[in-house]
Amino acid sequence: MDLLSNLALGFGVAFSLQNLAYCFAGVALGTLIGVLPGVGPLVTIAMLFPITFHLPAVPAIIMLAGIFYGAQYGGSTTSILVNLPGETASAVTCIDGYQMARRGRAGPALATAALASFFAGCVGTLLIALAGPTLGEWALKFGAAEYTSLMLMALVASAVMTQGDAVKGLAMVVLGLLVGVVGVDVNSGMARYSFGIPELVDGIGFTVVAVGLFAVAEIVANLESREPREVYTGPVTGLMPTARDIRDAAWPTVRGTAVGACFGVLPGTGPALSSFATYMLEKKLARDPSRFGRGAIEGVAAPEAANNAAAQTAFIPMLTLGIPASATMAVMLAALTLQGIATGPQVMLEKPDLFWGLIASMWIGNCLLVVLNLPLVGIWVKLLTVPYRWLFPSIILFCCIGNYSVSNNPFDVYLCAVIGVLGYVLVKLECEPAPLLLGYVLGPLLEENLRRALLIARGDPTVFFTRPLSLVFMIATVLILVVMIAPAARGMRRGT
Amino acid sequence: MKRCTTAIFGFLLIGLSHLVMAQSYPARPIRIVVPFPAGGIADLFSRHIGQKFNDAWGQPVVVDNRPGAGGNIGAEIVAKSPADGYTLVMGSIGTHSVNVSLFSKLPYDPLRDFAPVALVMEAEGLLVLHPSVPAKSVKELIALARARPGQVAYASAGHGTASHLAGELFKSMAKVDMVHVPYKGNVPAITDLIGGQTSLLFATMPTVLPQVQAGRLKALAVTSSARSPAAPELPTIAEAALPGYSVTNWIGLFAPAGTPRDIVVKLNGETVRIMKTPEIQKRLVAEGAKFTPTTPDEFAAYVKSEIAKWAKVVKEAGIHVD
Repeated sequence: MDLLSNLALGFGVAFSLQNLAYCFAGVALGTLIGVLPGVGPLVTIAMLFPITFHLPAVPAIIMLAGIFYGAQYGGSTTSILVNLPGETASAVTCIDGYQMARRGRAGPALATAALASFFAGCVGTLLIALAGPTLGEWALKFGAAEYTSLMLMALVASAVMTQGDAVKGLAMVVLGLLVGVVGVDVNSGMARYSFGIPELVDGIGFTVVAVGLFAVAEIVANLESREPREVYTGPVTGLMPTARDIRDAAWPTVRGTAVGACFGVLPGTGPALSSFATYMLEKKLARDPSRFGRGAIEGVAAPEAANNAAAQTAFIPMLTLGIPASATMAVMLAALTLQGIATGPQVMLEKPDLFWGLIASMWIGNCLLVVLNLPLVGIWVKLLTVPYRWLFPSIILFCCIGNYSVSNNPFDVYLCAVIGVLGYVLVKLECEPAPLLLGYVLGPLLEENLRRALLIARGDPTVFFTRPLSLVFMIATVLILVVMIAPAARGMRRGT
Repeated sequence: MKRCTTAIFGFLLIGLSHLVMAQSYPARPIRIVVPFPAGGIADLFSRHIGQKFNDAWGQPVVVDNRPGAGGNIGAEIVAKSPADGYTLVMGSIGTHSVNVSLFSKLPYDPLRDFAPVALVMEAEGLLVLHPSVPAKSVKELIALARARPGQVAYASAGHGTASHLAGELFKSMAKVDMVHVPYKGNVPAITDLIGGQTSLLFATMPTVLPQVQAGRLKALAVTSSARSPAAPELPTIAEAALPGYSVTNWIGLFAPAGTPRDIVVKLNGETVRIMKTPEIQKRLVAEGAKFTPTTPDEFAAYVKSEIAKWAKVVKEAGIHVD
């Protein structure tokens, strides 16, 4: 009952003309910056920050939040159309989304991404309303030991990511780990593999790696073919998903939402991990895993659902505990602070109109995003008829703008070109870029948390088994290993 | 005689041209390089000051975020920019005091390559504990750390950050041994402290004060040399146990060395005026920060004393970055 009256209050706030307008402005802007790689919600929100001084607190936070989750919607568009991940979390969508587009199914891919995002966004919002404080407390139980075990589980499960040659897959993960450790080591303060270049001291950015490996490498590989190959083979069949598509995508969307919602609450995992995790899960569950990487609709629905659910539940630590889960959240928190609102555990009780108004606005925002994105599908697909000789320079241009805008440094653009060459070599060697990206994301997180856990435990490795949550992940890791090795072992026995 | 007249005339001309320069300054857009990512406190205050420069002088101000290498990339850009007052940098305790001791090769000299303009703000720090730690005062904390050498874990926002140095200064002045647990930034360090993974943290006031008010963290003292208006009941670390202890996380505006004195003075005057307005004062209180007006010379002396102070701490603690 309380929930209903609270929601009634929230919708009352969010449906005011002013708040609706700011919600729309936020999500529209979010979609736009989501499409551009590199130009992320952080930069946008920081630039709009001074404007929020002149707004009351509620519309200000509604608009900033809209930018944040709106960017997750837009991020998938370029992933699907041109293999260019627009946002960190949509890199995984490149794998199958782009393949769908090449098979003339860009429309259904885009629509599926939008609908899965919508579903996940709504569920994520509901979770905040129903269980925000409980989930927030749960997230606090995650210390370095728990994160270590969780990452270990993810890394072991990542063996599933690799298709075909297991050695190549492993090699790619290890290469990713190496790329990931470039930069200052958190624990010792020593710079690794930086070769005295100041730009490398902070490590290689995700945008640089993802854009280089996916977009640039793809373009170079395409240019190589002698006849002027169009990117999109096959006719564009239908804009909307078929009944079968919807059936195929339904459960992956639900599972993706669940996985994404869990990762979103944990501030230490980063935005890309939830979409990777759910992609691996779907591949493991699929009857025919070989379809993945060749345009499986599950490979679009699940990660898109996951990153939107995560974007929504990432608000939980901020709203219930006053802890921002990311730098973007920190700026939003600062905006609230400057409005004279003490953001902390009490904000839910002291400012119910703000809290419930924001939650209601998220629902409205998600609806607006679907309304905004579904008609855009037709326009985006038309973009594909642009001849490749026009399309490819513009993609490269967007890659450069995106990479430059991350830290306003041309070095990142050069670095992206280098990684593009690496990506091309990998294409030639028939190595998948996805495991590399996963190693790049997971490696530094695993290392950072492992060493921190041991530092806090003063070198005692039993800490991973004596803490209950950590033990659960360790047992799960062993189970995954057994499940993976068992069929192979049985096969070997039969073979001898 | 003739040479003398020429010299005098020359001096007059230079003086005059400087005067003209200062009067006509700014004649084109000003760029403020922020050597940190968008969204941080240095970025937010730069945007604010930029907006006010624009209001006062009618010239647009571009805030240019050049993050990387602890702020060194952005600071280097300005060190090598023309000294005409059109490129400024929002420096910090890091770029203009600590890094010169922390990095073995700094691509600029924080004293020789810059003309200090004005101190912009000092963010106050708070020593906070997890509520389960059995210490109710700084003295009790020191006793606890002495009783369990190497056992108490203190979190920090990362190697060489102000929160790390505050901890090292504390260790060296109190003569205690604590484990340093570095994080990537303030927020994960605070999260783990609330979760009870670590015992204590030196953090900037606004990031932890709400948690203290909610009873999730216990505040013992402020790190600055005077009590804070945001939490007047808390003693300073200096008065509670360690006389002379003082750490403030400051940011300040710098121009490249050789910038005409008149322009530096003009920038200083406007910055001080802006920072004193009630609008900014309100924001400073919200950020748990304060503003002390300085002349360019006072600011230069302050930077000098900070460099000397941190050189000693960094050396004693044996901290390196690179």
